[in-house]
Amino acid sequence: MERAAQQAVPLGQMEVFQALQRLHMTIFSQSVSPCGKFLAAGNNYGQIAIFSLSAALSSEAKEESKKPMVTFQAHDGPVYSMVSTDRHLLSAGDGEVKAWLWAEILKKGCKELWRRQPPYRTSLEVPEINALLLVPKENLLILAGGDCQLHAMDLETGTFMWALRGHTDYIHCLALRERSPEVLSGGEDGAVRLWDLRTAKEVQTIEVYKHEECSRPHNGRWIGCLATDSDWMVCGGGPALTLWHLRSSTPTTVFPMRAPQKHVTFYQDLVLTAAGNSCRVDVFTNLGYRAFSLSF
Amino acid sequence: MSSESSKKRKPKVIRSDGAPAEGKRTRSDTEQEGKYYSEEAEVDLRDPGRDYELYKYTCQELQRLMAEIQDLKSRGGKDAQAVEIEDRRIQSCVHFMTLKKLNRLAHIRLKKGRDQTHEAKQKVDAYHLQLQNLLYEVMHLQKEITKCLEFKSKHEEIDLVSLEEFYKEAPPDISKAEVTMGDPHQQTLARLDWELEQRKRLAEKYRECLSNKEKILKEIEVKKEYLSSLQPRLNSIMQASLPVQEYLFMPFDQAHKQYETARHLPPPLYVLFVQATAYGQACAHRKSSQPPRQDKMLSVAIEGSVDEAKALFKPPEDSQDDESDSDAEEEQTTKRRRPTLGVQLDDKRKEMLKRHPLSVLLDLKCKDDSVLHLTFYYLMNLNIMTVKARVTTATELITPISAGDLLSPDSVLSCLYPGDHGKKTPNPANQYQFDKVGILTLRDYVLDLGHPYLWVQKLGGLHFPKEQPQHTVITDHSLSASHMETTMKLLKTRVQSRLALHKQFASLAKLQAAVVLNPGYSSIPPIFQLCLNWKGEKTNNNDDNIRAMESEVNVCYKELCGPRPGHQLLTNQLQRLCVLLDVYLETESHDDSVEGPKEFPQEKMCLRLFRGPSRIKPFKYNHPQGFFSHR
Repeated sequence: MERAAQQAVPLGQMEVFQALQRLHMTIFSQSVSPCGKFLAAGNNYGQIAIFSLSAALSSEAKEESKKPMVTFQAHDGPVYSMVSTDRHLLSAGDGEVKAWLWAEILKKGCKELWRRQPPYRTSLEVPEINALLLVPKENLLILAGGDCQLHAMDLETGTFMWALRGHTDYIHCLALRERSPEVLSGGEDGAVRLWDLRTAKEVQTIEVYKHEECSRPHNGRWIGCLATDSDWMVCGGGPALTLWHLRSSTPTTVFPMRAPQKHVTFYQDLVLTAAGNSCRVDVFTNLGYRAFSLSF
Repeated sequence: MSSESSKKRKPKVIRSDGAPAEGKRTRSDTEQEGKYYSEEAEVDLRDPGRDYELYKYTCQELQRLMAEIQDLKSRGGKDAQAVEIEDRRIQSCVHFMTLKKLNRLAHIRLKKGRDQTHEAKQKVDAYHLQLQNLLYEVMHLQKEITKCLEFKSKHEEIDLVSLEEFYKEAPPDISKAEVTMGDPHQQTLARLDWELEQRKRLAEKYRECLSNKEKILKEIEVKKEYLSSLQPRLNSIMQASLPVQEYLFMPFDQAHKQYETARHLPPPLYVLFVQATAYGQACAHRKSSQPPRQDKMLSVAIEGSVDEAKALFKPPEDSQDDESDSDAEEEQTTKRRRPTLGVQLDDKRKEMLKRHPLSVLLDLKCKDDSVLHLTFYYLMNLNIMTVKARVTTATELITPISAGDLLSPDSVLSCLYPGDHGKKTPNPANQYQFDKVGILTLRDYVLDLGHPYLWVQKLGGLHFPKEQPQHTVITDHSLSASHMETTMKLLKTRVQSRLALHKQFASLAKLQAAVVLNPGYSSIPPIFQLCLNWKGEKTNNNDDNIRAMESEVNVCYKELCGPRPGHQLLTNQLQRLCVLLDVYLETESHDDSVEGPKEFPQEKMCLRLFRGPSRIKPFKYNHPQGFFSHR
């Protein structure tokens, strides 16, 4: 997540409104185009902006190059999650998943290719979709969010195949364990659940908050971020960021970070993690040694 | 020419005269003596008078001859006169020689005379010297004699005893009467002997006495030390007995000291003191089931200067009676001392509001170890009692701003009994006094003097019936006693309730909002920035929910504009903020590790507490369904 830069307040009402919006904007999701030249970002107002990476990163970049090439209202609610397939940009937020063609996206008045809504049980409030996961081998898209279930959608047909239930509170994040193949989901209830994709059953549950080394009751028990390397898993959020050995389900290293972590990825042998409230991206080797921090 | 020749010739003549003169002389010498020629001797022989005559005659002859020569020369003829002139010249030469001789003689005589005089003088001088020497010696001897005569023997300085006493007292071997009677010298000697003897005896006695004195002094010292060592021992015994006193619950020492000072208290304070001590003891005894260590709920002490109290030699009752007189006196004395009217008045006021130097300090201990300290003062001229209060707690109180006044000394005891604000004086007579010195009301002075609550007066036994103002007021023990228990209980409950309120204020959540208003209000909305003080300081930097709340009022302002022309935007925004705060506090997740109920029970209907990766609370209000959801 990024914070939008603040600008001086102009005079007109529209400009004021836009400035206020920018002041309170939160970018929840981003995705790079398959060609690598564009970056799509989704914010809490439901807008998606497409930036030209090549222009912004080139040596002749000017201020305008850092502005989006196109911005459009994609959803009614915040765009919590976005992924890119080789041709499409999939965005989800307020209970729907929409697909956009990368090829068309820069044109004005672009419309979504399709939109689908997983079958929700409650009708009072549309649950948000917090995480999208692509399983390329099976051509599946897995959605998870406010209704505490993992929905699997076949990308070709667009049908929802199954839903995995088990979480007692809404799901924050998903990760794919390629070898098995399994999906890991972390949620507000504080548990990381592993689901087998073939059998569509829960295989393992790790209740992170119950382990004393990493639990931080004053932060809560929610799991905000997940990353997995098939044998290893890193998760964090309310509890401290911890490296787990999956087969034995034991925490091996607790990373010394105070703030609840919102994002984590494995990169080769390193663990990259960022908290939403600080200006740093911390880089750890997976022995727990903080190699360095990238800082804004 | 002749003169020239005479000049030439004179030296010749003289020489030549000299030789013959000498020749003459030698002739005369040899004629007379034979051995040597002494002109000096010749002088003695000749008569000076005759020589003088001779001289005069010779001078005359010379004058005559010169005149004749002159004559002859003036006559003129050279030859004849020349011989005569020559003749006369020769004669005058002879005369000259005579004159020279006479001159020599005269000189010799003179020399002789001088010599003789000189000799004589010398002799005389010698005699004179001798005379002087002798005189000097005489004088010296005379001095010596007088010295010797003046010599006083030391023995004469001694006051000897009188003769009769001497003969009476002196032992015979000293007085030796037979010898001394006749011989004053011996007598004096004897007397001196006796004196010496006496003195020796006396010196002996003196030494003895001195040594006695030393002994006695030492004894005194020893005794003094002994006595002075007693005092600390007594003290230590007293000290040692204190624990025993405490153990037996009879703090005599302390109590004794207190009662000593209490004697100097003015009557109302004394009443209060007695009643409060009694009540304190009664309370302590009530809890006899408690372990032996006495839990002192109520402790009484007296503060202030006893000396000053003693200095007020007018006992307080008198000052009550003669207030008008004392006022007049004050006026007079102040007029004498200070000229300015304003300062006079000030002084009068100060005098009127004067406090008695002693005050009674009551410490009321509550269950949670917080203590209410009450200091009671007595205003002598106004005959009322005032109280100053102070609350101390076992732990430091962090005073939130809104709770600042809860425990302030000024207001903590206000309205303990209904209507008793403690700002007016309860004594109706005071009003007349105030008029005299220009005090409008006691309210201005309460901060300094303390509050004159009605219950304070009652505790001191002062009863002011409202119908008639009285000058003399009786201090009544029964009045104090009847009010003591209720008042104490009220005070305790007051303190405890204030402390509890204080705690509650401290734990309240406070939302601070900074608003920026644009001149283009309300088309351009006010912008809010929020800071929540509750379990730490939360702003949009560290709490996403605060950010969401700001966004609710800043970005979604169009919903809050209200009916056209939308001037209620600000108030609506503020109201929404209140609602948002409620939602925030109520939906705060409960920390499982901490026991106890939730601080803010959830009253609002929310479908879900958290949504999305940022876990925002449900700030959006759904009208008219009346539940909160997320945007």
